[in-house]
Amino acid sequence: MRKFNLIYIGFISILLLFITYFYLNIGKYEQQVKDNIKQVIFKNTSYFIDNIIEMIDNEVKGDLYSVLKNNEKLRKELEKRMEILINPSFKYVYMLYRDKEGKYRYLLDGSKDDKGLFDEKFDVNKEEWDKVYDTKKPTVIFQNNFSGLWVTTLKPYIQNNRVVGVVAMDFSTTLLGYLSKTLEPLKNLFFYIFIAAIFLFSVILYQIILQLRTKKESVTDPLTGAYNRVFLREFVKKINYYSYDVAMIDLDHFKKVNDNYGHKAGDYILQGFVKIVKSSLRQKDVLIRFGGEEFLLFLHRDKNKQSKAKEVLERIRKKIEEYDFKFDGEDIKSTISIGLVTDIYTYRDIQEVIKKADERLYIAKHSGRNRVVYKEQISNSTNRLSISQIKSAIDENRILCQYQPIVEVDSKKVVKFEALIRLIDKDGKIIYPNSFIDTIENTNIYRDMTKKLLSIVFEKIKESNTSVSMNLNLSDIVDNAIYETIYNEIKMHKNLANFLTLELLEYELLDSEILYDRLKTIKEYGVKIALDDFGSGYSNFAIFKTLPIDILKIDGGLIKNIHELEISHKVVEAITFLAYNLELEVVAEFVHNKEVLDKISELNIKYAQGFYLGKPS
Amino acid sequence: MKKVLLIFLFLASVFANQSNVEKRIYETILNALFPAKQTICIWVDEPSKVELFKSINGVKVVSNSSKADILMLFKGEDIHKIDDSKKIFANGYLVFQRVKGEAIGGFYWQKGRPNLVFINKKLKESGVSLPKKLKKYIENID
Repeated sequence: MRKFNLIYIGFISILLLFITYFYLNIGKYEQQVKDNIKQVIFKNTSYFIDNIIEMIDNEVKGDLYSVLKNNEKLRKELEKRMEILINPSFKYVYMLYRDKEGKYRYLLDGSKDDKGLFDEKFDVNKEEWDKVYDTKKPTVIFQNNFSGLWVTTLKPYIQNNRVVGVVAMDFSTTLLGYLSKTLEPLKNLFFYIFIAAIFLFSVILYQIILQLRTKKESVTDPLTGAYNRVFLREFVKKINYYSYDVAMIDLDHFKKVNDNYGHKAGDYILQGFVKIVKSSLRQKDVLIRFGGEEFLLFLHRDKNKQSKAKEVLERIRKKIEEYDFKFDGEDIKSTISIGLVTDIYTYRDIQEVIKKADERLYIAKHSGRNRVVYKEQISNSTNRLSISQIKSAIDENRILCQYQPIVEVDSKKVVKFEALIRLIDKDGKIIYPNSFIDTIENTNIYRDMTKKLLSIVFEKIKESNTSVSMNLNLSDIVDNAIYETIYNEIKMHKNLANFLTLELLEYELLDSEILYDRLKTIKEYGVKIALDDFGSGYSNFAIFKTLPIDILKIDGGLIKNIHELEISHKVVEAITFLAYNLELEVVAEFVHNKEVLDKISELNIKYAQGFYLGKPS
Repeated sequence: MKKVLLIFLFLASVFANQSNVEKRIYETILNALFPAKQTICIWVDEPSKVELFKSINGVKVVSNSSKADILMLFKGEDIHKIDDSKKIFANGYLVFQRVKGEAIGGFYWQKGRPNLVFINKKLKESGVSLPKKLKKYIENID
């Protein structure tokens, strides 16, 4: 489309140039013809004047003025002869002299009209006439007066090497007018074509501007003025992404800004952020609003020069950190986390680069926010798996479930297993959840993994005919997509569902109504609900009121030193008392030696798990 | 349409120019002849020129020649009826030739050029001293 527009503009421009050239040149040619006509006129008048001068020479013997003054008959005779030359073009022929005061006066006048008398003053263009007197050379005066073009040819009359008079001939012509008239239709034609072409050109230009503006609007985020994802799609197709460093930027705790100050404040901060970032960028750099408060930045890298991306991004980060966003009388502070990819050559395509930048952003977020994370930092600080590594592990079925037994304290009989998920890397090494769970949180991969885990757990239940528990976050139940996956898996294995226990973690206060309804629905299939790690973190007693809980698992942090610390003992005792009053089963975690087990037994806790009773295998 | 417009503009500019030139010349002449007068009363024997003089600042056209400071003659008819105690200014070559014995000056177009003449004798009689720039137009005509 753009190419077509360029061709179109080029064509119209050339056309316009041609028309302008012709239009201007018509005027030029007209001028040339006019100049030639003037030359012809001058030649003709010169010829006639020369004849007059010759005639006067022949007739006047002695001082010109004296002879003419004293001989009226001669004057009349000479004027009569001069009059012969008069025709519609040669209007006036006369001879003047310059008196002592510098005024010009008639010597002879062969004109038929406007005839002047001998010695009468005649106001002429003194400067030009004086020139003839002083230089003794002829001259020609052109003037466009009210009735057409006038050409006055002046020639000196010399006696004794002194100018004693000037013969003048006024030539008036309408020829030039006729010429202009003849050329007029042609000039008009070009004039109209010229105007039409200008009009056409303006319309096309307007259309192109309109089109460009519409296009710009369609690729620009209206709130911030940064580019949007529509632009990104086209942009990545066009660029050589090796010429760029790519950064994913996210505003830290942006949700809190929206919650605390309102969405308008959020919008204001986004706008301010973009303004600050843009002020630090060069023309070749591109900022794209990737989503919500997430931005993708392409920093152009000059050929053969070391990347300055880290310095630029650090400068931007600092600027944002130090900036006070003043909104509605409030000073709002904000920070940003940035994931940067400078090692572009190591990735297959731009999508992978963006994914990598996102992963590094994630790391920046989980490393305390307000920082720039790039490759070198990652290799020094973490051995987390990347999203692509996790995805390929799931796709290649490199998922492993280890099971830790949960035993009845009195009989030491295994009554249940807790399923613990692991991944196996390409070298066969077992990877524990702290190296991958956080990375895939809030992604589709997490949902896929949950689905896979549920199917493994049901397979285990089917094989062993034993209850198995597995861990979930409370937020998984609230999340529509994950809940759907869990529910479908349970429904699919409804005959085994009563062997399944879901251990819920991170029970911060979420929408308890949805939670309650969904847990209730699941429980209708016989699934048991356990609260994991109770006694630490966000534990609160209100949860018993709002959620349909069957089992309480006491946090390992309380259990592991119950045999040494009186306070742990008392807390566990109180939790157990509470649980039994609520008719819940109690499981003690982290039982790592006999002393701990004895204490558990003393407190009448029915179930326990830990390395002393059985390691995950 | 464009042609009509161009012709109109051309004619308008020609007449505007000619009339402007005349207006400026008469303005100069009258200011030179009556340097101290705030309002110069003139009488004109050509009705078509009345508007031209009316457009000059400080000029009042009167219908009674006896109340005029100067008589502007374009026709110069019935010259014997004219009060010769008034200043007379001739307009046009033929009028000038006819009244140059009584006139203080004349203005006429000759061979397409404007010509201005002040008659020395009459200037002296009227006690008029022309500004320097107009002195070159003074002629000794009896």
